[in-house]
Amino acid sequence: MAKTPSYRMKTRMIIALSGMIVLGFSAVLHSLFQLQIVQGAVLQEKALNQQMQSTRIGAERGEIRDRNGKVLAKSATVSSVCISPLQASKLNEEKQKALVDGLSQILGLEKDYITKKMKKTESQYEVLKTKVERPDADKVTEFVQENGIGNAIFMEEDTRRYYPYGNFAATVLGFTNKDNVGAYGLESYYNKTLAGTPGRVVSLKNSRGVTMPMQYEQTHDPKNGNTLVLTIDEQIQHYLEKNLETAVLEHKVGNRAVGIVMDVQTGQILAMSTKPDFDPNDPYAIFDSNTAKALEEMDTVEQAETKKEALAKAQFDQWRNKAISDPYEPGSVFKIVTSAGALEYGTDTPNSTFYCPGYIEVNGRIQHCWVWASRHEGHGLQDFTKALTNSCNPAFITIGQHLGVHKFSENFANFGLTEGTDIDLPGEAASIYYKESQMGISELSSASFGQTFKITSIQLITAASAAVNGGKLMQPYIVKQILDPDGNVIANVEPVVKRQVISEETSKTLRLMLEQVVANGSGRKAQIPGYRVGGKTGTSEKIGEGDKNILSFLGFAPVDDPKIACLIMLDEPDLYNAFGSTIAAPIVGAVLADTLPYLGIEPQYTQEELEKTTTKMIYITNMDIHEAEADVRIAGLKFRTVGSGTKVVRQIPGAGELVPEGGTVVIYTEEIGPDQMVAVPDVKGKTGSAANQMITDAGLNFAASGEGIEGSQNVAVSQSPAAGESVAPGTVVTVEFASGGGSDSQQNG
Amino acid sequence: MDYVQPKSLAQGRVASKKRVVEKGGIDLTFLILVLLLLAIGLIMLFSASYAYAYYHENGNSFYYISRQLMFAIVGVPVMLIIAGIDYHILHRFALLAYIGSVFLLILVLFVHTREDFNRWLPLGPFSFQPSELAKLAIVILFAHLISINHDKMKDPKYGVWPFLVLMGVVAMLMLLEPHLSGTILIVAIGIVMMFVGGTDLKWFMVGGILLVGGIVVMVMIPNVVSYAASRIEHWQHPELDPLGAGYQTLQSLYAIGSGGLMGLGIGNSRQKHLYLPEPQNDFIFSVVCEELGFVGATIIILIFVLLIWRGYVIAMRCRDRFGSMLTVGLITQVGVQTILNIAVVTNTIPNTGISLPFFSYGGTALLLLLAQMGVILSVSRQTSIEKE
Repeated sequence: MAKTPSYRMKTRMIIALSGMIVLGFSAVLHSLFQLQIVQGAVLQEKALNQQMQSTRIGAERGEIRDRNGKVLAKSATVSSVCISPLQASKLNEEKQKALVDGLSQILGLEKDYITKKMKKTESQYEVLKTKVERPDADKVTEFVQENGIGNAIFMEEDTRRYYPYGNFAATVLGFTNKDNVGAYGLESYYNKTLAGTPGRVVSLKNSRGVTMPMQYEQTHDPKNGNTLVLTIDEQIQHYLEKNLETAVLEHKVGNRAVGIVMDVQTGQILAMSTKPDFDPNDPYAIFDSNTAKALEEMDTVEQAETKKEALAKAQFDQWRNKAISDPYEPGSVFKIVTSAGALEYGTDTPNSTFYCPGYIEVNGRIQHCWVWASRHEGHGLQDFTKALTNSCNPAFITIGQHLGVHKFSENFANFGLTEGTDIDLPGEAASIYYKESQMGISELSSASFGQTFKITSIQLITAASAAVNGGKLMQPYIVKQILDPDGNVIANVEPVVKRQVISEETSKTLRLMLEQVVANGSGRKAQIPGYRVGGKTGTSEKIGEGDKNILSFLGFAPVDDPKIACLIMLDEPDLYNAFGSTIAAPIVGAVLADTLPYLGIEPQYTQEELEKTTTKMIYITNMDIHEAEADVRIAGLKFRTVGSGTKVVRQIPGAGELVPEGGTVVIYTEEIGPDQMVAVPDVKGKTGSAANQMITDAGLNFAASGEGIEGSQNVAVSQSPAAGESVAPGTVVTVEFASGGGSDSQQNG
Repeated sequence: MDYVQPKSLAQGRVASKKRVVEKGGIDLTFLILVLLLLAIGLIMLFSASYAYAYYHENGNSFYYISRQLMFAIVGVPVMLIIAGIDYHILHRFALLAYIGSVFLLILVLFVHTREDFNRWLPLGPFSFQPSELAKLAIVILFAHLISINHDKMKDPKYGVWPFLVLMGVVAMLMLLEPHLSGTILIVAIGIVMMFVGGTDLKWFMVGGILLVGGIVVMVMIPNVVSYAASRIEHWQHPELDPLGAGYQTLQSLYAIGSGGLMGLGIGNSRQKHLYLPEPQNDFIFSVVCEELGFVGATIIILIFVLLIWRGYVIAMRCRDRFGSMLTVGLITQVGVQTILNIAVVTNTIPNTGISLPFFSYGGTALLLLLAQMGVILSVSRQTSIEKE
């Protein structure tokens, strides 16, 4: 028994040991080599794929500001509330119920919705609600802490876009989609500039999504977006929108209205609007109440599909920046360009004369002047200026024919009407026109007064600006400056002169001719006392669309040194009671009347205007508001409009009453309530200036009678209406003055 | 007589005049290798287990390491005490240990801690696998039989049938648990011991032919073909079922691959953060590979190889066949178990639950392992070196 191991046993031991080493350990070492060295990188990558989680840190989107720094669009931090269904499934039933109840209450979500998300238990990440704002987000955080469900519920920060002015410059600003990407307008065009670069935190997470206790964490800081400073002036934009909104209502504009205010010297867009538009804070909601109502009424099942289409169309329509995206036939406004060409090429001069018998024969066909329809006679003999003032079509057909196809086409192209304006907005449409080779005498004749081709509003105002600014075709632009997140200037946009289209001289001549259109012609309602305004009306029938029209007016001021131009274009206004061609002019007048003083351009009154002390009030009741305002403005009176209607229901003072210099006419578009009446102050015994002050402060108009207020000793002796009477604002209070203490001292004595 | 007989060798006999039986000293090399593996094993267990423990043991990251350490602290003195005892007393326990093991293997079928596998017997606050004891019992009994019948091993009556019956009973009981990996291990140890013990080589050939034949017959059964094919497919391509059967293997491969040449550094495994299921247990070596890289894993494997080599040296130098066969059995167990474990984590063979000696969590298993190392150390004290 005590024998030592035999030789054979030892041999077999060596074989067994060798076998284990050769077959066993070598095999596993080989496997390790394969896995760690040969496939190591691949396996490590797969491992990291499951271990690494990258959390996005949203970059704050830059602001959009007006030229004076007013914020038109900004971003604020919001949170996304997310759930890990896998972790939630590990909570006990009580906590799960508390989770569903609590979150549905705080976030206003359906309980079923949360429960459904929670059932995706293979998932670690489901978004419950995005764009949760501060107070609610804090509530969620608190709720999560209280219930100890931090594993299951977590928050991710992101940003949300705010437009503080609501539906203001909406088609220009555009909006961002739910992923914070610019979808329309400037938000889209400058998306890269505004968006910045989101950051990321890459960290290692265990299989429950909890960060591993290791230093392996890479943070890439987000780079916030840059800020756009626009050429838009919030105040001018406001003037434009206010007037455009009213215009849409008063003329029942069927296919939206466009307004643009441009700095004619630089091409900067001071204001641009399309109405009706939308609220970029809630871009999918239909903003126009009529359209919204019509959509709401489509509530049957059969209409569901139609409704869906109609809704999509309505959304698309309200987002569309008509000013740059919809080419139209400009009609007579285009006569500015034809005139500029004729004068520049010298095919006609201001002294050229034209005879209009009410029609003209072109290529064997009679074309009537617009004036024929109402008068059955023509404009007769007229010089160039008069032809422009009359907007005489036969005269302009002649002018066009004098130019000829080649020069006309060259002129057309020189004014930038065959190319885009390259404005920094998305969706600029191309113009549609006959090329020189396709243009015959008929096409030329019609094109001369703005028919047979289509251009966009922005092309038209850019061309008109070139015609009046001394001949420089500017590239219109809307972003003036780009600032980095710290407010440092990254880029300044300088005006770009595309080319000199006409000479300084031609431009000056044309300005004076266009001034006559406003002074004596179809543009009268754009007059503003104290300012020299030039402009041109335009009417174009929409061919093949019944009696639908596009009415427009392009005005600029001051004529001697043009600063701004304003184009108003109404697509499909209701013309049953308006004298068609002129309805856009008073709107332009209203915008210019607000804008010119705002820009610091002082009015320069004529001697006659300065000497006038009283004005006889004109009759404006029942007129459209813009028409009425224009008449009052042209009469040299200040006015205040009360109410939000589009028709004048009452005027104070009444027609024929004398309004003193500096007095204010109150135009009512709604009947006034008793609470708006004012009491007449007692001015007996007061001097003229004191009485005037008291009455004006009360919102009434002051008129003196008797011996007047000239003598320094004169004081008020009586007044009408009597003190304490309740009258409508704007009522004229006539005060009788007598000299030397008068009745006052008598009463006291 | 030119040798000095140690006092403790009551039953010792002189083998040869040319041999010198050295007294006393245990094999220091072997002891150092054991302690080295134990130390590395404990460190790696802590590294591999703390994240898992944090989540599964109520935030107690030290749950596994503290228990394992306790057993190690008890286990090392136990090992040294056993090293001081003459291993020949095991002759007396050979049959008893076997019968006891069989009894416990039957008992565990009825009394066990888990429902899915009937492997663990409750033992106070701990649990205990009777199969661990059965392994030891088989080794002792086989060593006993071989040392008694060493001259008749070529006769199948002595060299084959007793072993097959003894092994068969244990293997059958373990398959009932079921505990396939343990069965394979015991059979492997048994075969190596029979081989070294002197069983005629032709029986191994017969066994090999029977095994191949058995597999062929199995494969001929229609349903088995597709089942086997599917099993092999899933073994070769764990990514086919990444969240199910392939999950553990795939996560293990990710861990091993992530280690690359130099590893992520000790403590820096990522896969142990709840990706790898039970990283403190059978898959601890994946974490070792991830943290220490190919270099570290190779060094650890080399230490295992050295230990086994040293064990065989002790077996060869042993002055009697009982001690020699005991050592062969016990050290082969460590070797085969290590190979199978690493083969599983590297997906070299299909996944079967088998732990890594000195590394895997398991207090009673560690205690038993250290006791076995103690037996080898005891054997090492009675070597005979040939001196011409």
